[in-house]
Amino acid sequence: MKLLIDHASFHYKNQKDLFTDVSFTIQSGDMVSILGPNGSGKTTLLRAILGILPWACGRSILDDENISDLSAAKLWSKISYVPQAHGTAGSYTVLDSVLFGMTTKIGVFSVPSKEQIEYACSILEDLHLLHLRDRRCSELSGGELQMTLIARALASDPGLLVLDEPESNLDFKNQIIVLDTLSRLCQKGVGVLFNTHYPEHALRRSNLSLLLDHGRVLYGPTAEIITEENIASAFGVKAIIGEVETNTSQIKNVIPISLIAKSTGSEGSSSESSEKNEQEHTALSANSGMLASISIILSNFEESEKVNGILHDFNDILFGRMGMPYRKRNLYLININLDGPVRRIEELYHRLSLLPDVSVKVTYEKDTTEWEEQK
Amino acid sequence: MQVSRSPVRKTVYILMLILLPILTMFVCLCIGRYFISVKDVFECLLSRANDGEGVNRLAYITVWNVRFPRLLLAFLVGAGLSCAGLIFQSLFQNPLATPDTLGVAGGASFGAVLSLLLGFSMILMQLISFAFGCIAVALTMLAAKGKSRSLNTIVLSGIMMGSLFSALVSLVKFSADSEQQLPSITYWLMGSLQSATYTSLLIGLIPILISVTVLLLLRWRLNLLLLSEEEVISTGTNIPTLRLTAILCATAATASSISMCGQVGWVGLIVPHMCRMMFGNDHRYLLPASISLGGSFLIIVDTLARSATAAEIPISILTAIIGAPFFLFLMRKKGGWAI
Repeated sequence: MKLLIDHASFHYKNQKDLFTDVSFTIQSGDMVSILGPNGSGKTTLLRAILGILPWACGRSILDDENISDLSAAKLWSKISYVPQAHGTAGSYTVLDSVLFGMTTKIGVFSVPSKEQIEYACSILEDLHLLHLRDRRCSELSGGELQMTLIARALASDPGLLVLDEPESNLDFKNQIIVLDTLSRLCQKGVGVLFNTHYPEHALRRSNLSLLLDHGRVLYGPTAEIITEENIASAFGVKAIIGEVETNTSQIKNVIPISLIAKSTGSEGSSSESSEKNEQEHTALSANSGMLASISIILSNFEESEKVNGILHDFNDILFGRMGMPYRKRNLYLININLDGPVRRIEELYHRLSLLPDVSVKVTYEKDTTEWEEQK
Repeated sequence: MQVSRSPVRKTVYILMLILLPILTMFVCLCIGRYFISVKDVFECLLSRANDGEGVNRLAYITVWNVRFPRLLLAFLVGAGLSCAGLIFQSLFQNPLATPDTLGVAGGASFGAVLSLLLGFSMILMQLISFAFGCIAVALTMLAAKGKSRSLNTIVLSGIMMGSLFSALVSLVKFSADSEQQLPSITYWLMGSLQSATYTSLLIGLIPILISVTVLLLLRWRLNLLLLSEEEVISTGTNIPTLRLTAILCATAATASSISMCGQVGWVGLIVPHMCRMMFGNDHRYLLPASISLGGSFLIIVDTLARSATAAEIPISILTAIIGAPFFLFLMRKKGGWAI
């Protein structure tokens, strides 16, 4: 499965472009987050990508075919769309809701067959929802409803899953359940594209991100897109991306601090200039070379293939590597040494941290310039 | 309330739905100004093969030539109108959308009255009635189309269309010959199943049978009508075709009922509501339930109409007496059932 958005623009009738010249590609196993402030058109972008709204120019291409040329049945058997959860008809049971996802496979004049019902149940079982099968959707909690809608989307066995704010309005536990499910699907080779209000979810889950910044569209590896600088520009919020260290990994976290004052008075401009200095500083260090070492523990043997695949993409900065299986506990230990731009090291670290069953940490050399200054 | 959940209860309900119209029909064969005992009705029914030999001749003719076609007509009209009401409710996701409130019944009546005035044949009358029913529903949909898709807009514009067409009906009445045509139109408008003979049944019931069958075949698909726009799109269904088919079927059933026995109102509102309260919103159960309950309901009301007093009471009077309070009750209760 490959979805290519080719130089697309969109605007509502008689209005100026909401976004211009959007181009990106999603492939099987990619998890792409779309971020942007309220009203920036995240939902509109999803709908335009899926052909529900027409692009003003440009096109969406799914496996070498223009989406607008595909029949509805063919398109929606390859892609599933999960709209925002509110507004679904609540009077159907969970099982019925999932069966709606298989409509293209059920004949116009027939009802779901026994096999189809069994298949729907197997999907519910995969998502640990089987106990809810006869409950009405209106009786479900927000998290259960969202999972039911995901189950419906999976019923057509899609190559790409598109979700509109799947984890909004959910508590921590349900957010993790939904996001874990998406990560798991991703590992199975399904492409996932979703809107979110949480930059940290993008940082922790998706390898690629798209940020809508007042008509400008930024797209790339998540670690490069979700930066303090880009958040400041898109959301108008000064935020700090910090790291929290746990036993198994270093987790990135986005902490919003304050609004950025609009550059009106002299006061504003001075704060902005200091901001700029800071940004230049970080930009400099992001591109400067650093020595780093990453240690990885795999609790699942098969993951080593995936790790090797990722490492392969970073051969140019990799200079030392040691891997050994620890058969006694069925673990696999890898240590790698890197010399390259911080940006690349961070990207590698980020991609490794997205794998399930992997503990990974990165250690950088001491920043010598800073060291000298202090002396 | 939660029929579909337990298989045992489901079977019980299905059995009840099959038995209900049969029992009702049987009981109503007995009742009338000429009362026939249960035993005699049995004998009459059983002696159909040898053309009623050895059975009370009067009872035999009453059962087979008078009451049976009439009960059949009542059953099919009741079933057709209930299905039409059910489908309109689902189509517009609105519990108050029925053939009456959407103006379909008004349009179809106008078509039928016009045909009466011009002295058209039964088949032509059906077609014209159907055509005007379609025009009415199309106009209602056009009038309600706009930015706000509120629950009441469609019903309000339906009521407007209804009164427009009732004005047109008055115009026809006004221009009708007051000696013969006017009384027949007026009486026909109030609704009666008196006209039932096997030949008229054959012509009139084909559209009802066809549309109810199509709807029954579509029973699972029809559930998609209640999903939100975005959800439906992502199921990959050709929803405009489904909607159009459903509208045409429901309008054909309504128009055909109306051209056979006048405006029998309210059936399309009461019966689907009772079914939804019992069976939820799954059309796999709702449609058969509407057929069974709708048919039985009209059989009972018609039996009342023909046997309560010496002269026959027009059926629409009875359905309205039951229906109007029910409608008000639903409007005030609101939460009782929502799509």
